[in-house]
Amino acid sequence: MLTALTVVGVGHFIDQRQDYETSLEASYQREMLARAELNAGQHPAAARLAIVTEEANREHLRDSISDNTRDTVILVGAGLLAGLIGALLLFTGLIVAMRRPLERLVDAAGRLAAGDRSARVEVGGLAETAALGKAFNEMAAELELEASQRDRLDRMKDEFVLTASHELRSPLTSVQGFAELLMMDRDSLTPRQVETVEIILDNCRHLARLLNDLLDLARSDAGRLTIRPRPTEPAPLIEDVVRTMRAQTERSDQTLTEKIGPNLPPIEVEPDRIRQVLVNLITNAHEYAPEKASIEVSARVADGGVEIDVTDDGPGIPPAQLEHIFERFVRGDAGLTQRVGGTGLGLAISKSLVELHGGAIAVDSEVGRGSTFRVTLPLAAPGAVEAPAPAPPAIAERPR
Amino acid sequence: MTTVLVADDSETILLLMRTRLELAGYEVETAADGQEVTERVPIGGDGPDILLLDAMMPRKSGIDALRELRAAGVDTPALIVSAHHDPNDVDAPTDLEISGYVTKPIDFDLLLGAVAELTEKPG
Repeated sequence: MLTALTVVGVGHFIDQRQDYETSLEASYQREMLARAELNAGQHPAAARLAIVTEEANREHLRDSISDNTRDTVILVGAGLLAGLIGALLLFTGLIVAMRRPLERLVDAAGRLAAGDRSARVEVGGLAETAALGKAFNEMAAELELEASQRDRLDRMKDEFVLTASHELRSPLTSVQGFAELLMMDRDSLTPRQVETVEIILDNCRHLARLLNDLLDLARSDAGRLTIRPRPTEPAPLIEDVVRTMRAQTERSDQTLTEKIGPNLPPIEVEPDRIRQVLVNLITNAHEYAPEKASIEVSARVADGGVEIDVTDDGPGIPPAQLEHIFERFVRGDAGLTQRVGGTGLGLAISKSLVELHGGAIAVDSEVGRGSTFRVTLPLAAPGAVEAPAPAPPAIAERPR
Repeated sequence: MTTVLVADDSETILLLMRTRLELAGYEVETAADGQEVTERVPIGGDGPDILLLDAMMPRKSGIDALRELRAAGVDTPALIVSAHHDPNDVDAPTDLEISGYVTKPIDFDLLLGAVAELTEKPG
């Protein structure tokens, strides 16, 4: 606006100056005419007067031109200053107008990224920021819809696994129970029949283990895998697991030893769940390692916790498999798994359980040398007294 | 003779339980759901020595049947058979004097041991 006024003003001054210059030229012409008349000796008095008048007239016009030039310079200067201030004001206004909506957008994007799927921005301000806000809201709405559909599918999957695991147990109970009944009469069975029933029972146990593992995973996914940690002495827990597992390892002529560091402090865990993890790890070592292999369970204080290692001198795990070892249904070498009865879920569950305790699980392995699985578990709060175990139910599930 | 009342909605499971318990020397009664359990256990009378109740049954669950019996003053020991029991399940009732949980597939060595222990007559 101001700049436009300046331009109009400067234009006006230029017009005025042209008028002055035209008048100057005309005055000069008139003086020349008067001088010619004077030289010719015609009307000398009138000519002299005309010359003096025109000279005075031109003096006045020159003053006007000089004023005009000064005014133009002032006007141009003022115009430039006004334009600068105007631009500054406009810029500040733009920043102010864009800043609030952009800040809101950044805030909402942060909340969305943090998982708040209901994060939206107030659409407003300049056309550009409003369009940006609208696009953001559309994207957030789409994400929310996708996420809610995914949640629904996840819930359906969890429910399905829980129900399937539940419903499969009754028929499994019958198959296993009646096979056991047959075995109670094993004296009247032929050796071939005994072998057949043993295969049925082996597979029942495998199926039961698979169902338990699936159930644990479904609970873990649904956030329903819960633990009740309490201060627990690690040494007796490890010794108990090793004692239980020794029956299995001895059948393969494997040696299972324990090496427990002195004065291990109590750890904050649910003993049954850590027992389950250790049984999983020892079972893996036992099943994948050849006959006469050695398996060692060691424990020591490390990194503000207690580290329990299960080490075997078995075939080791190739690097390509090692990366995925804690994923579901990832199992060792296919040739080995023919005789290995695992479910491919044990390590995934062990990882969930250890992490639920706030611990960590890791593996080192070298093909041909063996593997070490390291479980680190948090210490119990200092001074915590080992709480008495809750009264056990009359029939606990056997260690898996 | 010690009497066991077994409730399960699967006839096959009932047959299996009956066979194993009878082989172990118990007298066995069966019920197909919780409703039958409450009808068969007399209040304050000469009922079964132990209840083996499936947690989930149509019409009335083993838990609901036990809740009614306990409310009526029946203190017969009870074992709950459930497809899966996580001792950490928050909804596991603690006020019903449940003597223990049996998970499926049933480990009969453990089950028979617990039944024997719970039905031992004092003296």
